[in-house]
Amino acid sequence: MPGSRTCDAAAAKWGVGLMLLALAHWLAQDIRVFSVLNYITLRAVLAAMTALFISFLVGPMMIRKLTAYKIGQSVRDDGPQTHLIKAGTPTMGGALILTSITITTLLWSDLSNPYVWVVLLTTMGFGAIGWVDDYRKVVHRNPKGLSARAKMSWQSLIALVVAVYLWRHATLPAHTELIVPFFKLVVFPLGALAFITLVYLVIVGSSNAVNLTDGLDGLAIMPTVMVSGALAIFSYVAGHAVFAKYLGIPHVPGAGELAVFCGSIAGAGLAFLWFNAYPAEVFMGDVGALALGAALGSVAVIIRQELVLFIMGGVFVVEAVSVMLQVSYFKYTKRVYGTGRRILLMAPLHHHFEQKGWKETQVVVRFWIITMLLILLGLATLKLR
Amino acid sequence: MSGDTQMKKRGAVALGETHVSTANVMATPNAAARFWIITMLLILLGLATLKLR
Repeated sequence: MPGSRTCDAAAAKWGVGLMLLALAHWLAQDIRVFSVLNYITLRAVLAAMTALFISFLVGPMMIRKLTAYKIGQSVRDDGPQTHLIKAGTPTMGGALILTSITITTLLWSDLSNPYVWVVLLTTMGFGAIGWVDDYRKVVHRNPKGLSARAKMSWQSLIALVVAVYLWRHATLPAHTELIVPFFKLVVFPLGALAFITLVYLVIVGSSNAVNLTDGLDGLAIMPTVMVSGALAIFSYVAGHAVFAKYLGIPHVPGAGELAVFCGSIAGAGLAFLWFNAYPAEVFMGDVGALALGAALGSVAVIIRQELVLFIMGGVFVVEAVSVMLQVSYFKYTKRVYGTGRRILLMAPLHHHFEQKGWKETQVVVRFWIITMLLILLGLATLKLR
Repeated sequence: MSGDTQMKKRGAVALGETHVSTANVMATPNAAARFWIITMLLILLGLATLKLR
């Protein structure tokens, strides 16, 4: 019957199975104002606000539960002495972020879009690895948690599945090229092996880099919020044929929907900061840090902006590199000179500055400021090429 | 009685909102971060008006 109002018809037209998008279109047949939800930009903003409110509602209850179950962070005794007072602060708060992101993405995204599922499942997968690690550490009181080998194996498995999926479903040469920021004509076409290796390194690398950065109150979450906000802009542009062509970046049909996912990360992250700001009421733990890093990495590889992520997430990169250099140099000097020597006073880098006399909040806010500058630089690559 | 508590007893009007927050056990960085978050939320609301009109 023409004009009949069924959710099935709306779903067929919009290509969605359920949730708010189909409902809005169904309502829009009578009340035109609901057609405004067709716009990705608005849904991204609404996703951010929804995630924020979900976290605000669930957060206090979750913190009370974590405290009641004594799911408290253990503090490394070789770290800064000022951090010993943090022992016992509830951890695994990343579960709050993931819950919020998942609900919001399911509500506001077009669920027929495969990219939405790729990033959502990658995030959940890495979150599950972190959850097992945290659970063993704080509930089973096993200080080793999940072994490094097991953790890396599971991370590798998920990242490789994503890489192979993206390779097999690439429809244009641009979807598998390495785009170099600031140079319009410098593009490296990648073969299967190079593409899969790149995707693997970006996802696993960003996941672990965010995890290493998560050592001070609010240090990891705010840069994650800022980077996800910037990636939302990149996703929108990459998914828009006209804008992508005008700005000279690869057009990835369907990638615009990732702006909604990025919006939900930004909203959930901001709300988490409410509880994680110094002095933190809750830590995100590996469940949050590994998942958020993987989320940023997976969005970046889909929209072909790995190197821009490298720039914008510079704080994460430097933190990870500081640990690698410190450990390598220590092992090298121990082998050569008999005693291990250090480059930094303490690794990761944020602890080095604490040892130099900076207050925790100073380190955190200054790292935020650096991230803001790097994000401006990253956004400048949209035009400067 | 600390200066902060004395000021609080005089009533909310004697203090700016930020100081009311810090006088009520909230640490200064915590209060600052929460005010930033509220600002960002308001910015999101402002940006939404671009489309919602």
